[in-house]
Amino acid sequence: MTSYRLASAGSVNRGQPLTFTFDGKSYKGFEGDSLASALLANDQMLMGRSFKYHRPRGPVTAGSSEPNALMTIGSGARAEPNVRATVAELYDGLAAVSQNRWPSLAFDVGAVNGLLSPMLGAGFYYKTFMWPAALWEKLYEPVIRRAAGLGKLAMQADPDRYEKSWAHCDLLVIGSGPAGLMAALAAGRAGARVILADEGFRLGGSLLSESASVGGVSAADFASAMIEELEALPNVTLMPRATVFGWYDDMVFGAVERVQKHVGTPSPDLPMERLWRIAARRAILATGSEERPLVFGGNDKPGVMTASAMRTYANRYGVAAGGKVAIFTNGGSGYRTAADLVAAGVDVTAIIDARVQSADAVPGGVRVIRNGGVVGTKGRKRLEALIAERSGFQEQITCDALAMAGGWSPIVHLMCQRGAKPVWSDEAQAFLAPDVGSAFIAVGSAAGADTISTCLKEGATKAMMLARDLGFAAYEMNIPEVEGEYDPAFAPVWYVPGARDKAFVDFQNDVAVSDLGLAQREGFRHIEHTKRYTTAGMATDQGKLGNVATIGIVAGMRGVSPAEIGTTTFRPFYTPVSFGALAGTSRGEHAAPVRTSPLHDWAKKNGATFVEAGVWHRSAWFSREGEKGWRDSVDREVQNVRRNAGLCDVSTLGKIEIFGKGAAEFLNRIYCNNFLKLPVGKARYGLMLREDGMIFDDGTTSRFSEHHYVMTTTTAYAAEVMAHLEFASQTFWPDLDVRFVSVSDQWAQMSLAGPRARTIMSRVVEDDISDAAFPYLAAKTVTLRGGLKARLFRISFSGELAYELAVPAGYGEAVADAIMEAGRDEGICAYGVEALNVLRIEKGFITHSEIDGRTTPDDLGLGRMMALQKPDFIGKRMSTRFGLTAADRLQLVGLRPLEKLEEFSAGAHLLKEDATPSMANDQGWVSSTCHSPTLGHTIGLAMLRSGRERYGETIVVWDGLHGREVLAQVCPPVFVDPENRKLQG
Amino acid sequence: MSLTLFHRHVLEDYLSDFGTKANPNHLAVIRRPAIFSVLAHRGHDASVENELKSVEGIDVRDCAPGEWLVVSTSAGAAAIENLLADIAGASIVDQSDGRALLRVHGPNVRKILAKCVAVDLHPDSFPIGTSANMLCCHVAVNLARTGADTFEIAVPRSFCGSVFEEVMEMGREFALTAAFADS
Repeated sequence: MTSYRLASAGSVNRGQPLTFTFDGKSYKGFEGDSLASALLANDQMLMGRSFKYHRPRGPVTAGSSEPNALMTIGSGARAEPNVRATVAELYDGLAAVSQNRWPSLAFDVGAVNGLLSPMLGAGFYYKTFMWPAALWEKLYEPVIRRAAGLGKLAMQADPDRYEKSWAHCDLLVIGSGPAGLMAALAAGRAGARVILADEGFRLGGSLLSESASVGGVSAADFASAMIEELEALPNVTLMPRATVFGWYDDMVFGAVERVQKHVGTPSPDLPMERLWRIAARRAILATGSEERPLVFGGNDKPGVMTASAMRTYANRYGVAAGGKVAIFTNGGSGYRTAADLVAAGVDVTAIIDARVQSADAVPGGVRVIRNGGVVGTKGRKRLEALIAERSGFQEQITCDALAMAGGWSPIVHLMCQRGAKPVWSDEAQAFLAPDVGSAFIAVGSAAGADTISTCLKEGATKAMMLARDLGFAAYEMNIPEVEGEYDPAFAPVWYVPGARDKAFVDFQNDVAVSDLGLAQREGFRHIEHTKRYTTAGMATDQGKLGNVATIGIVAGMRGVSPAEIGTTTFRPFYTPVSFGALAGTSRGEHAAPVRTSPLHDWAKKNGATFVEAGVWHRSAWFSREGEKGWRDSVDREVQNVRRNAGLCDVSTLGKIEIFGKGAAEFLNRIYCNNFLKLPVGKARYGLMLREDGMIFDDGTTSRFSEHHYVMTTTTAYAAEVMAHLEFASQTFWPDLDVRFVSVSDQWAQMSLAGPRARTIMSRVVEDDISDAAFPYLAAKTVTLRGGLKARLFRISFSGELAYELAVPAGYGEAVADAIMEAGRDEGICAYGVEALNVLRIEKGFITHSEIDGRTTPDDLGLGRMMALQKPDFIGKRMSTRFGLTAADRLQLVGLRPLEKLEEFSAGAHLLKEDATPSMANDQGWVSSTCHSPTLGHTIGLAMLRSGRERYGETIVVWDGLHGREVLAQVCPPVFVDPENRKLQG
Repeated sequence: MSLTLFHRHVLEDYLSDFGTKANPNHLAVIRRPAIFSVLAHRGHDASVENELKSVEGIDVRDCAPGEWLVVSTSAGAAAIENLLADIAGASIVDQSDGRALLRVHGPNVRKILAKCVAVDLHPDSFPIGTSANMLCCHVAVNLARTGADTFEIAVPRSFCGSVFEEVMEMGREFALTAAFADS
């Protein structure tokens, strides 16, 4: 006897046959089949091997809680492991492969683990492999991991696209069964924006699986009619194949839509999966309930499945799970299953009812064993018989499939993801949804309702309530009549005593009742401990099937109510979500937005190599023919700037426009140095401190008119400085009239530096820029030859005579080209941020390598900038703290190697000669280093304890990372032109 | 010596103007819009806003309390600057080179933009004439609804290439095309 396709039942499209393969063998199925239903139709009940014991397993569900029927679908880079065959939509050409078996699913060497099972109980690896410890990582763990497992990942890059999208609605309905459909329609008719999402590939939920008739038509046809009406409403969005997996802050729900998982040849224009973030004003949980398996000896044989799964296979897919079916039940679901199977012409050999009596209707000719239980099963790769027991009398009953109906658990996962715990109900013998407020409510069987008619009614009324709550006029709906309903009430049976084989609570992880007992005996009694010690509920199904039984059985073992045991913690995701979907388009070069300067193309055509600095791509150096490496280019650029001139892109600096009558006073409080009396037409270098007295950022600010300033910030802190200014203005000094706006993107800014800079600049600028007319630190709007307005600043970050010219971004490339052309006979070159860095280290100028959040102005030799006579500025108060004025603070110094050829790196630590490297002996560290082409050797800036008193001292530069020790001499941190003669030139 | 300086749009290299036929879903890049930041000084928020509303030929986009982006696709920056210069209690800043203006249009425009911004663009919550600063493909932009199926996005120039590529990628399933508006 076998499982087989029924002659007529079900709603699969028998006119559309599909071909697919499983483990290389070709099969036929129909459109509308799941992979599992199609396999069952072909009598392939064996679908997987369990995690630990490699026991043969068949599907135990027909839905997303499936623990057994996991397989790998697709091949090559598209191979996806651990797909639940019960929810995988069949398509033509689908290729599935079984997992965790060798050499084949039918003959699996790993099954020997099952023979060793007395030694492989819960926690066995903690006990068995304790000694020697070194072997754990090298031997035990890899061996255990190989022996136990799931599918293997494809190691190639995923060829498919993924996307993320936002959606907004008044009401999100999660689940499209009877309650969800009615809820969506009620709110949809009222005019609310409704999203109806369902994890299934066909909307309708349990209506697709039930034999009752609703509103005079079959439940499935009723669902179709509802969906048709919903589709016609423009304010309703239907989302099949979309699993709502998480509930987040501010009523945002996460969902993953499988856009093309069911397509043989995916379109490159569509994503494979789409991640939705759904912002809902209200939400309805209509996720239904999960039928519990019963826990009896041998309950994991292929062919044993939940009664509702068996009904789904028969009523929805037209597949009989077996030719001779037995049913083990504690409630009405078993009887309904028997009736549906009998109606489909399947031989139902017996109903074993755990209860002494019941009012459920018994289909004609079916034997009922009341007050009975199943204590064992026969068969290896397929159920062959069961052993039923009644009052000590055991009887073997031949069957090839066994339906188990163990009662119902509302699916409340989403509602419990943000801290609320489900609430045990003695009446319902189930954990019910917690009260999480009026914005998110459960309806239908997710809320404990038991019949289709209650679900329909509750869906409609609660949705109308929410719609009215949002101000929509919702009108009463007709609740359709349901005929042929059954009463799914049940009497709890947590554990069937007398098991002759292992009785499993968690199928995938092979957790049996005996493991739960062991955990209690060994002190892992809290349910969270029991879970982790036994791994019950830790499989890919996350305990959807087994957790309630685990809790019930542990409660039984301890002689308390399940309420006292409680549940483990619910967290997103409801079902597994692929990393691809979570990453969306953020892969490879799209991992983060790219920011380019207006001079990017200019740099590119001048041979730039770019470096990523945050999101910016900055020109690092400009290679020329014959140069062997970056150092050659950088050395040449530096020497050329010192000798002739160079042009550097500094557009990435933050630029903030500041206006207002209070601007001068505002800047005076923002900077630690004086800004109140900065004359119009002048730039000034400024230091901003944090409240704690440490330097926050530096830069220049220029006064363009009485109440108009332009501030520059470092590239890295542009956004932070803007936020700092806004914060100070809005909260500290709202009385000051000052406004800001970022103009970082408006201007292309370039630095022209070197002794020939004035000659070159004067060929481009119409204004008089002689030293008299435009001295050091001058700043003003100028006119370029040809008429373009620009901003010119005489500021220098290289120690050379230098200008920064800012032009509207769109003209940046043209102006840079013009300067290069104007400077050609003066020997101009383009230089990048590497040369810029060398030039500034040679001059002892600081960057965020030195402004690292731990340094004060005095530490960096800028103590004189602190205008302490000012009434206040940010950082003033805390600057007088004892620790910040201590004499042994680290201070900025220069370092030169005693031997000219020796090199050292930033990050190295400083030690006194002959001191052993230790934290106690640490004298400081190196903040910046470079090869100085001007001096011909390595130079460095360093933070050294009481450094300014130690010029001339020899110190060890200790670099444990590179295993390098270099002797260096402490010197002032300015290596080139300490008198600033070139700057003023 | 007089310099002849050519203005270059940031998306010049991203768009080939030849043979691009606009599909129903289309992204038009405005080549030289005039864009100004307008900042109201203390106590002038309402008066500046009123004055801005009375200026003809400009679109006023909301950025923040007392801060707007004035956009014109018809007049040049110099003309707009003159129009705005007289508004009492306001400071103005030319941002015409600092922002690129992308006009996205078509029957699926909301579905495309839902993949770019987190803000609800349904006409009930974001009717024609609404504008706001928001993140678009991780970048702070100003987005405005200028028609039933038309939105304009003012993107910081330095991020424009990145945002443009991302929007086009999101429009792929709806065959979104792109070109300069004047070509």
